[in-house]
Amino acid sequence: MPLKPAQRDPASRARLAHALLALCILWPLFEAAQVRPGALFEAGNLTVIGNFLAAFLPPATGSEFLGYLGQATLQTLAIATAGMMLACLLAVPLAYLVSAAGRDRPTLNPLARSLLTVLRGIPELVWALVFVRVFGLGPAAGVLALGLTYGGMLAKVYAEILESTDPAPARALRHSGARRPLAILYGLVPQAAKELVSYTVYRWECAIRASVVMGFVGAGGLGQLMDQSMKMLNGGEAASILLTFLLLVFAADALSNALRRALDAAPTAQPSPWGWRSGTAAVALALAVWASFRLLDMDLPALFSHESAASMGQFVASFFPMDLSAEWLRRVAVGTWETLAISVVGTLLAAVLGLVLALAPLRPVSHLLLNLLRSVPELVWATITALAVGLGPFAGALALALHTSGVLGRLYAQALDNAPRAPASALALSGAGQGLAFLYGTLPGAGPQLIAYTLYRWEMNIRMAAILGFVGAGGLGQLLYFELSLFHYSQAATVIVAMLALSIGVDQASAWLRRRMG
Amino acid sequence: MGFELQGLGLAHANGTVALADIRLAARQGENIALIGPSGAGKTSLLSVLGTAWSGQPGLQGAVRVLDSELSALHARALRHLRARIGTVHQAPPLPGRQRVVTSVLAGRLGQWPAWKSLASLAYPADITGARAALARVELEDKLFARCDQLSGGQLQRAGIARVLYQQAALVLADEPVSALDPALALATVRLLVADAAQRGATLVASLHAVDLALGCFARIVGIKAGRIAFDLPADQVSEAQLQALYAGEGQQLPTLLPARAAAVPMNACR
Repeated sequence: MPLKPAQRDPASRARLAHALLALCILWPLFEAAQVRPGALFEAGNLTVIGNFLAAFLPPATGSEFLGYLGQATLQTLAIATAGMMLACLLAVPLAYLVSAAGRDRPTLNPLARSLLTVLRGIPELVWALVFVRVFGLGPAAGVLALGLTYGGMLAKVYAEILESTDPAPARALRHSGARRPLAILYGLVPQAAKELVSYTVYRWECAIRASVVMGFVGAGGLGQLMDQSMKMLNGGEAASILLTFLLLVFAADALSNALRRALDAAPTAQPSPWGWRSGTAAVALALAVWASFRLLDMDLPALFSHESAASMGQFVASFFPMDLSAEWLRRVAVGTWETLAISVVGTLLAAVLGLVLALAPLRPVSHLLLNLLRSVPELVWATITALAVGLGPFAGALALALHTSGVLGRLYAQALDNAPRAPASALALSGAGQGLAFLYGTLPGAGPQLIAYTLYRWEMNIRMAAILGFVGAGGLGQLLYFELSLFHYSQAATVIVAMLALSIGVDQASAWLRRRMG
Repeated sequence: MGFELQGLGLAHANGTVALADIRLAARQGENIALIGPSGAGKTSLLSVLGTAWSGQPGLQGAVRVLDSELSALHARALRHLRARIGTVHQAPPLPGRQRVVTSVLAGRLGQWPAWKSLASLAYPADITGARAALARVELEDKLFARCDQLSGGQLQRAGIARVLYQQAALVLADEPVSALDPALALATVRLLVADAAQRGATLVASLHAVDLALGCFARIVGIKAGRIAFDLPADQVSEAQLQALYAGEGQQLPTLLPARAAAVPMNACR
């Protein structure tokens, strides 16, 4: 119907254009991810997955197996702790170099910055895969991989935290002649300490999850045990491992919550900064790190010996020159597109599922479900979804969606709780139903936060999507796994560079979208 | 019937008594101003009339609103009743990132079928209606602005436009003009009274300014410490009663215009 210009919504044309643009981008991505929801409900697939899950019961409880399980659990914890130790050692100097905090004018520091990008951009599983080739199977590869990736992530976040704290105290110190390191220590760190520690603890929690995943490529711990049990189709053992893993994640969650709460406690009035609480924490930390390295029995000096340096050098050299033939580039491009599709479809499905769970009326039940979804790693979900819908990108997208919906659901629930209540309750009082009151009253307030969380998660998922191919979910991961197992290193190098480029591109796109929609 | 309250009491969860022994009734089409010192219970009384307390443990006594006994209503009937009650809130409950047109149209969510409400999120369902409502509070030019681009006074008037658009049979207004300058405040209260009179709606407004209440409303209910102090036609409220109502609030009565200046004349709205 033709409307007078005065009666037309001036935003409608832009809205329509945006919707069409989104459709034009998303449609081919859904095509590429081979989304076939029907496959989930095919009778044949349902029986397969039913049988598979039935084999999980009862969980294995043989004493010999439980012994292995205990050992693997300790190993997983040790890998995470030792990896974090390494990451911190790497992150502190890098953050110091990169951060603009305590400087008179911000520097670009291109060298340190690009090192950070490379460390973060290549998924830890790829590092693990590479290190397994150099140092052989075992936890050393996992520890190093964790140390490098998490070092990169921690450094970036440390630098950003220091930059976002009030610069006045540090500036005052510098003007009175203090050098930059001291100005940061005395002027910025006291303000930022809580945030720094809390982020580090959160990352340790993530490291536990990651160390399990890295076991799948032979880096030891629970993941390796899980991989073996799955390959032998021993459902009972897999169930026990999964349960242990859930407990571990819940415990880490609780510990990190307790630590973060302890940081809120006011210090006692005494000259020494060390009270019994901080003293115990420091001793416990030192003991944990010592025990971890002891347990892993890593021959650390050997890692830095001449021979290993030489073999490392040789190994790295074998990746060059990269394979840049047109044929291979075409295949990598297809893989890149497929990986992008997996990440986008997975994140979108997760956003929908997460929102539904966040809004679900039965809080305790949905909370448990969210925790369950969240604590099973993507790679484990992928082995299950691959059974449900067959190998391929859709299985990867589903696996990503299941794990991410647990994460997003929790974040969404928090964001919705923090959103102002008045608008929705006012609408309910004028007769609007609950759903409409939410759409008109709560969502406009919480929307930007929800979108920001979703986009942040997409940045993580692009890295995860790149490696889901290791279990046959297509994309770059499948190419990389394949080429590495055939020792085709120059082809693998192209894939790794493509992964790096993809994750940098997605970071940029997500930052741009956040600015547009925030 | 507009509403009828009998033996109404309201206690908050922490035990404080907000309202006690309230007996108040209004015919359909009456307009009433609630006055009294801050913390007296004006907002609580309005929220009871707005059915915010239905089914809550703190509420005692019989509440009838628009011919419905509150305690007897099921969820669906309560929603239908609420769609006929419009509330101007003290702090306008409009989300900052929402456009004014959407916020105003949200006044009829209780009356529209669900499909229409949903479609209206994509394209405003009744631009003409929203524009007309905004024109009455002189905000026509802000139709497509975002709520966080409005000033405090503009936001309050946008909230009033939503209630005007809702066309409720019972209009409750909690300090509806607290963020407006005196001239605009008078004009806006006049608008609310005239709109209610024209549609035969009942209007209950709590007002901080005594002169505004006396000048614009037919019936004045004074509230102090959760109880009704007096309930009289506007022309029978005595100076002594007002002084007693606000005793302890300082020497002067709270008014819209400074004392000795031209106060709002009696019957300013009629």
